[in-house]
Amino acid sequence: MAEEVRMAYPDLRHPFEKKPIHREGSATVLYAGKVIEIDRAVASESLWVTPEDLARINGFELKPEGACFEALCFPLGSGSKLLKEEGDQQWFDLVGFAEWLEQPYVADVENRVWSFGEVPAKREGMMANAMAPEFEVLDRQSNVVRMSDYKGKKALIITWSSW
Amino acid sequence: MPVWQHIYEELNDPNFVIISAAQDTGGEAVAGPIFDAANATYVQIVDVNHTISSAFNFINVPAAAWVDETGKIVRIDEGTYAKTHPFGGNDIYAPALKDWVKNGENSEYVQAAATVTKNIRTQSFDELKAEAAFRLGNFFREYGYADKTEHYWEMAKDLNPGSVNYIRQNLTLSAEGSAGESFMKMIGEYVGQGRDYYRPLDLSEK
Repeated sequence: MAEEVRMAYPDLRHPFEKKPIHREGSATVLYAGKVIEIDRAVASESLWVTPEDLARINGFELKPEGACFEALCFPLGSGSKLLKEEGDQQWFDLVGFAEWLEQPYVADVENRVWSFGEVPAKREGMMANAMAPEFEVLDRQSNVVRMSDYKGKKALIITWSSW
Repeated sequence: MPVWQHIYEELNDPNFVIISAAQDTGGEAVAGPIFDAANATYVQIVDVNHTISSAFNFINVPAAAWVDETGKIVRIDEGTYAKTHPFGGNDIYAPALKDWVKNGENSEYVQAAATVTKNIRTQSFDELKAEAAFRLGNFFREYGYADKTEHYWEMAKDLNPGSVNYIRQNLTLSAEGSAGESFMKMIGEYVGQGRDYYRPLDLSEK
């Protein structure tokens, strides 16, 4: 096994220069492989976003019937704790919504970065009936690669690492 | 890596693709040269956020899934070395793969949906949360926050202690690297807890 032992990459331990995460006063949301910077947010322990930013983050829209993604709607009702209005601006509690959906998240409040995991109900459906999950990643040439691009072919999906 | 390229060339089947994803927070700088050295011509992904492992619920490398023309998984999540290897590789997997590419659903190595479903790992709330923590650590790494990176990678490891990927990826931050003394000790504990380092490869399981 000795030949397998190698120091990873000492020069890469801290390879990047420290730089500002986002504009002063902004917040950043990480979800489903995306990095979404939000200029207007009320961020404390919770994260209140505008309806427009909610749609940018996870595709949910606020409608009379509730918070909706495609045909799926979660009724909010009047007086919902997930909604508040200040002046003309409506705010939606993204963290409260995640808790309601039992969607895991990790927040770095100090730097105003919120990382959301997948909604468990959605994740469970991903490999139902042994169907391959959809994913979207970039290849080394920056082409988008999706599982669904390979319908009609056999595919070996393989992971490895340099470490 | 060169072995997979060799198999890919040998099969030379336009209806077969290899999608190979390096689970490497070090990015192109560390994974790219390995792809290049193998003269890889298949789909090459440097998967900094371990997106492919997350999608297929993999917890170690190498791991693989066979996906047929209809998008159905017919084998999943086996220690997938193309040849013998001290960590549990063997020389029976690659011939089985070739058999499947040639014979499709008639291959004896194609598994029933129920078997595949049984072999797909489940994800608890904490394990899904570990992905969010790992992603956050990677984000901070990109911005040069080494302390935050370590904090969130550790959090990911604590939330999903079964993930060898998290254990070893974290060790790349240490001077001894991912296969040093700490790793050997940890793997001893891991196996001691009754966990398989890889799910045993059973080619007779239908």
